[in-house]
Amino acid sequence: MRHGLMLWREGELSQADVLARQRRLQAAMRENGLDAVLVYTNHVRSAGVTYLTGFTPYWSDALLFVPREGQAIFATALSKRVGNWIRSTNPTVEIAHSPQPGRMAGERLSALSAGNIGVVELDRMPSGLVEEITSKTDARLIDATDIFAAVRALPNAAELALATTADRIAANAFAEIPADRRLVGDVTEVLELNARLAGAEECYVAAAPDLAADQRLARMKGNAPLGGYFAIRLSVAYNGVWIRRTESLARMAADGAVAEAARAADRLAEAIDPSAQPAPQIAGHALSAGMTILDWTVEAPVATRPLQPVASRSRPAMRDVPYGVLTLTIGTAHTPLVFTRSFGLARQTARGGGVA
Amino acid sequence: MTARRVADTRRRRLIEAMKDAGLDAVVLYGNAWQNDYLRYAADFGILEGEGIAVVTSDGETTLYLDDSFEADRAAVECPGLDTVVTDDIVADAAAAIERLGNRRIAAGPKRHLPYGLARRREENRFDDATPILDRLLMIKAEEELQAVRRAARLADEGYAVFRNAARVGRKDYELIAEIEAFFRANGVDDNFMIIGAGGLEVRGMAPPSGKTLKAGDLVTTELTPCVDGYYVQICRTLVIGEASEAQKKAFAVYHEAMIAGIDAVRPGITAADIAKAENDVFRRHGLGDYVTSEYTRVRGHGLGLFPDTKPHILEDVTTTIEQGMSLIVHPNTYHPEVGYMVLGDSLIVTGEGAEVLTTTPRELFSMAADRRAA
Repeated sequence: MRHGLMLWREGELSQADVLARQRRLQAAMRENGLDAVLVYTNHVRSAGVTYLTGFTPYWSDALLFVPREGQAIFATALSKRVGNWIRSTNPTVEIAHSPQPGRMAGERLSALSAGNIGVVELDRMPSGLVEEITSKTDARLIDATDIFAAVRALPNAAELALATTADRIAANAFAEIPADRRLVGDVTEVLELNARLAGAEECYVAAAPDLAADQRLARMKGNAPLGGYFAIRLSVAYNGVWIRRTESLARMAADGAVAEAARAADRLAEAIDPSAQPAPQIAGHALSAGMTILDWTVEAPVATRPLQPVASRSRPAMRDVPYGVLTLTIGTAHTPLVFTRSFGLARQTARGGGVA
Repeated sequence: MTARRVADTRRRRLIEAMKDAGLDAVVLYGNAWQNDYLRYAADFGILEGEGIAVVTSDGETTLYLDDSFEADRAAVECPGLDTVVTDDIVADAAAAIERLGNRRIAAGPKRHLPYGLARRREENRFDDATPILDRLLMIKAEEELQAVRRAARLADEGYAVFRNAARVGRKDYELIAEIEAFFRANGVDDNFMIIGAGGLEVRGMAPPSGKTLKAGDLVTTELTPCVDGYYVQICRTLVIGEASEAQKKAFAVYHEAMIAGIDAVRPGITAADIAKAENDVFRRHGLGDYVTSEYTRVRGHGLGLFPDTKPHILEDVTTTIEQGMSLIVHPNTYHPEVGYMVLGDSLIVTGEGAEVLTTTPRELFSMAADRRAA
């Protein structure tokens, strides 16, 4: 669920911002002969509706129905008692409560005489919802994932600014890690506290407590001991936008080799152009002497997942994305180290335009 | 090791239930919101993306995940689990199901099963696994109940942290920051938590909105820590400053209602009987309007691998209460003189009645108004 700060902040993401995104989707619908688009949301697959409305459900699920013309409708099984909260955080759409939101959407589609309905990630839609929709309309359901992904791949200034804030929250939380750290809990507690005090909507923490033994990150018990070198991943949501940061650290004290590897990860991420394929950019980037890239993965917002793997060393081809995070495993003389860095957040200033 | 034993017990019970139902396999979907079916079979607490577990009647379990980092986590947290990471879990799980041939296969939860999976099997539909899993989830084995008891201890400790964090000038989300930091350091993987702060204008609880606590506020929360997959809940209300007579009088009604509900718990009654016991107290005090859906959602609910599982405690729910269930009884609702109030304790249904798990005093806590945020 989402436990952290959730409210509408017009100064960070305005109604005009999200309405412009809805209009872009409506234009794409007209180009592709769609009468409406349906986007499903829950707090795991929140990113599609968050992009279009700024709203993320803290719990439960819902369906956003964007007609080709006019106001979008948010159909939810959440009760009317929660209606005030939804309206306060989702101001641009009509809020429609129903124990069967799919049925309600089906009725509205039928009233519009809609023939072709685009559904973002149709195959992933809960089958109960699809049954409700098709019980009320004969319209054809068409997968609209690529249409939506193309709309949301355009870099958006408000989204990049939110991702930058999330990134700063994560970096600042890491700066608070104590020098005296022996257990996983000594680190995860500090990260969780500081990220949430800074206004994070949600955060997830994972650890690889002994990098010499295993570089995979997992949720560890707080009393798990830290090895000589360890890695911690902090995933932060701020106002609906997610970012990740992973740091590798030496348990005892500042370590020059680790710091140099971190700087190398910074430099590589800063050099990545999200509008180009990452594989050649990574392969062509020279790290410091004695360091090699053992593995990499790029994650980005594409459809309904806030961050999903979109390219990796073994599957390098990447679709268009607005920004992303790059996770690197760097081989060093001592032990492999893991870092995650954002990229593409500075596009607005770097390019002086091209950002919606 | 304890968590592993609990998982082994669950898997054994699932296989027995499949044999009783004449099933060759079950297909169970999950995500971080609806994870109880998936976790029952695969013992993985999925966080991002989606998962599908395919379990055959000989106990073989394969977990399909659509995120390589989640697959890494599964490998570390659930060693021995057969995990497949794929961009298209629907297609890959469907292909695996196809390879099982013309066998009797059930899937669930029915509403949340990916449409692509159901569509690909249209000619040879799945049986519905929902009633089988719902029953397994509700009636727990003793090993599961031990995990529930461990979670209850953390719920009490967590509420103590919450109380200590509440003071004039603090933002509501800062209280949650302290709780979550405490939980992360103490082995709590997840926590369902909402909060309310204020007076008559507060109609329920929601995520924090940045509200600053002030003297006289009622601060409500339900904390639901998860330990080894099992959730336990506690609901309490505190006042910033001295409680008013109206607040104390109102709280007495909730206290009486919760005790009435807990006292009603025993095997053989229905969920409706518990709800009626709670609601009758409100009716006797002239507050019958405030136990309707306009003001409250449920009067309690089941707890386990999902924080809000069946049975829902409502006057129209006829589910029979059985030994081995874990529940919370919480007569949370709006009070017309003071605003929204909550009070709830988790329990296990025993042969004789209820074993109440949460031990935090059933008080309307009062936090000194002169304690200010640093």
